[in-house]
Amino acid sequence: MQPITRLFFASALLVCTTAALGANADTQAREQWHGAIQNGYESLATKTEQLASAAVGYCNAPTSDSRPALNDAWLDAFLAWQRVRFVDFGPVENNNLSWQFQFWPDPKNLVARKARYLLGTEAPVNAEVINQSGVAVQGFPMAEYLLFDEQLNSGENALPAAKNCEVLSAVTRHMARNARGLADSWASFKQHYLDTGPYRDTTIKAGMTALEILEERRLAQPMGLRGNGKRNPYITDAWRSGQSLMAVEATVAGLEKFYLPGLITLLKTDGEAELAERIQRQFEEVADNFPEAHGAMATLMESDERFRILQGLFVDVSQLSTLINDEAAVALGVVRGFNSSDGD
Amino acid sequence: MLIHRRTLIKATVAGGMAATFTGCSLLPRKTGPQPERYAGAVGLPDGRFGVSAFDRSGNVQWQAPVDTRCHSGCNRPGRKDTLFFERRPGWSFYVFDAETGQRRHRIMAPEGEHFVGHGVFSPDGRWLYATASRYQPGEGIVAVYDAEQDYKRVDTFELAGIGPHELTLHPDGNTLVIGLGGILTHPDYDRIKLNLDTMQPALILMDRRSGQIVGRFTPAHHQQSSRHVSVSTEGKVYVAYQYQGPLYERPPLLARIEDGQLREYRFDPETQAALGNYIASVVAHPENDLIAAASPVGGTAIVFRGKTGELVAKARITDCAGIQTLAGGDFLVSSGQGRLVQLSAGQPAKDIARLPVQWDHHLV
Repeated sequence: MQPITRLFFASALLVCTTAALGANADTQAREQWHGAIQNGYESLATKTEQLASAAVGYCNAPTSDSRPALNDAWLDAFLAWQRVRFVDFGPVENNNLSWQFQFWPDPKNLVARKARYLLGTEAPVNAEVINQSGVAVQGFPMAEYLLFDEQLNSGENALPAAKNCEVLSAVTRHMARNARGLADSWASFKQHYLDTGPYRDTTIKAGMTALEILEERRLAQPMGLRGNGKRNPYITDAWRSGQSLMAVEATVAGLEKFYLPGLITLLKTDGEAELAERIQRQFEEVADNFPEAHGAMATLMESDERFRILQGLFVDVSQLSTLINDEAAVALGVVRGFNSSDGD
Repeated sequence: MLIHRRTLIKATVAGGMAATFTGCSLLPRKTGPQPERYAGAVGLPDGRFGVSAFDRSGNVQWQAPVDTRCHSGCNRPGRKDTLFFERRPGWSFYVFDAETGQRRHRIMAPEGEHFVGHGVFSPDGRWLYATASRYQPGEGIVAVYDAEQDYKRVDTFELAGIGPHELTLHPDGNTLVIGLGGILTHPDYDRIKLNLDTMQPALILMDRRSGQIVGRFTPAHHQQSSRHVSVSTEGKVYVAYQYQGPLYERPPLLARIEDGQLREYRFDPETQAALGNYIASVVAHPENDLIAAASPVGGTAIVFRGKTGELVAKARITDCAGIQTLAGGDFLVSSGQGRLVQLSAGQPAKDIARLPVQWDHHLV
């Protein structure tokens, strides 16, 4: 064989091998993502089932012991949701499940308006009513309102008032049913997910979007780092329970557990092992802000000293966002566009 | 969507506001009697929004600030008005002096209604037809304005359906061609799609004088959201879909009215996949039988023959969306990364220019 021909075959072989490696890595990454997200969804199904049971248990026998247990059950389920909240494709798109679990942002305070309406109706609030009442009623923010809203819980409809119990039971039962359905649908979705190449980019973008929402809407905006510069803890999620930052921690932990492994597979195959390591380390940097940053956002905004805790968290999240949304995305050839994410 | 500051800052690398040309010095002319100018809604490097117009030399003629992101617009025939509509839910549209960019009017939507991003004029330039929605009951309408009375609202036509989007005028001068997406949204609920299981998208033909619906065509699948439309000089009516079902399904995304029904175009599997189940623009060329379509989701623009459905050009253009027809038979495609790319049948795509803005969906 002539040297030039040999060279051609050698380089052709290299190209083929690299392409095959890439395809294998894509499949492997999707297998990792599918399995990890399945675990996350199963946990959500378990925790929401426990929440629904806790609601019924407390309402049947309200004691001073069972109330904290109910609050904790809400938090456990909410954090399980935060860990898989980044998944914005697949079965969670059906019936706006994602929105059903967490209707947010809520600038018009629809959750409170709808809650007042339901609490004021004489007709029973059953599964059918919840089904027909729209996404502001069907998930964690509504349950949070019923459990934690100060005004509500200092009035005649405070738990364990019968009407509040009725609504809370129906809402949490709806959530548990949705979560079980989601976990089952995700399992059925497996082959489509593995067989459809574009889900690689879809999954990468899901994590990118989640980080952007985390950095901008869940931290920068309430911290007053954008727009008019005013601090406002009430535009973040879970402000009624004071768990906004626990939720931030869970979202980051969920990304690390369910998203990062597949991403690392792709980065390493692309010769970006060093970047993969930096991303891994940055996840740890973010995690190191806790438990110091576990407080309610409103509390951390009260003094400059406490605010510095938030700033530290923000800087670390921002750096994580840069590493993934800029560096990893470029390395993996993923672009989220001005028009492609617009929906018109 | 959120506009990331870093992304925006990156968009300024081209520097200044003039286009960076690649390989030529002058943009091709548009077809027909259109102004020698291109205008589009833009996202600016600092996160604000505007409407920008540039000439064939690539010089920005004017850039007008707007309060919120705009989507598409139209030029008033015979007059120097360029209109742009706010992106859905659009609470207003703007009327600019086409030559200077000076804002002449900002027309607010009446209470209970919002615009959806598109409008078109009657041939004499007097009547403006804008697609809109009565959002409480979720009713799609065409709002009619009299440009000679400073854009006074004069009429409302019912569409008997949800979610109208683009509309255009048939060359008969009388028939409005309207894409009815079928998706129910409500301003209180962000952009959540509230009725994906029960959507009823349609391509609607309407008499622009009486408001009477004279044709209603239903896509084969109820989740083929019929958002964008175009009509050829011969009156062939095209519609582009944004499929609302799962990504692993690959339904046709383009169709035209033929023998009283919608004839769908299906391309090879690779092209179908590259279109990402989402077409943002469809444009029929007035000088030939070519149709261009752009998918920002798939980062792909295509050109095909209307009669045969033969694919004659395909280009990877990240975040491409806007399409203009050029004199001579080609198309100009704009992208959210500021690129302008020329597409010709049987030719490789040609990068024409890059501007430091993010072009929103449509060029006018």
